[in-house]
Amino acid sequence: MATLEFGLDFWDPIVCVIAFLVLIAVAYLLRSRGQKKYKKGTVQTQIFLSGEEPPDVEQRHIKAHNIYWGFFQALKGYYDPTIKAHTGIINDYIIWFAAIAAITAVILFIVG
Amino acid sequence: MSLNSFKRALWLYLINTGSCNGCDIEIVAALTPRYDVERFGIVLVGSPRHADVLLVTGPVSQQMAPRLKRVYEQIPDPKVVLQVGSCGMEGGVFYESYNLVGPVDQIIPVDVYVPGCPPRPEAVIEGVVKAWVKLEKAAEQRIT
Repeated sequence: MATLEFGLDFWDPIVCVIAFLVLIAVAYLLRSRGQKKYKKGTVQTQIFLSGEEPPDVEQRHIKAHNIYWGFFQALKGYYDPTIKAHTGIINDYIIWFAAIAAITAVILFIVG
Repeated sequence: MSLNSFKRALWLYLINTGSCNGCDIEIVAALTPRYDVERFGIVLVGSPRHADVLLVTGPVSQQMAPRLKRVYEQIPDPKVVLQVGSCGMEGGVFYESYNLVGPVDQIIPVDVYVPGCPPRPEAVIEGVVKAWVKLEKAAEQRIT
């Protein structure tokens, strides 16, 4: 493995690995000096949430859907009936398909 | 008394269980340059999981009782509870209020009481020193 030279700078994989190991050792040293007296399986090992019981992990995550809140709010008039129409039942979708096909056929018949 | 067993800085967590804020202001005054308890390593921390001493102010309202219990349980052992102010002892100005479940020692065990409405920073500091001595004794017992 060769050292790459960039004028005043250089990059060497061995130096990177050594720096990484030194950082790991420092992190381990700091962690090993931490509090060890927490009783496992009690509230002492749970996160602190101003005295509140922390919700389940699934509930703590912020859903990606929240990012689009403004978008859905602005187009509420469109999304509310559309989402209601998406029942997830295949029979409903076939009825929609048949109804739209019939309406299209009538329009095509009239228009010629 | 020299500290031989409890050799680190003393970290405190403050919980207000319905206090008027008077005691909290006096506690914060103990941290200002006039008293500057931080030079002795006495620090207010943001989580009970990091604390050695629980500072409690207020008479304990119904809403705060389960929170107080939980915060107390989250502090690792050995721990000491320092109750600051008269209302946490017998209700003080909130005496016989409809929404109180205190005093504090009916909810969690209290080790040191600092009376006053509010107590002066000097009194709070003396209470903290007493709490520190208790922790030193607890640490001594653990070692021997």
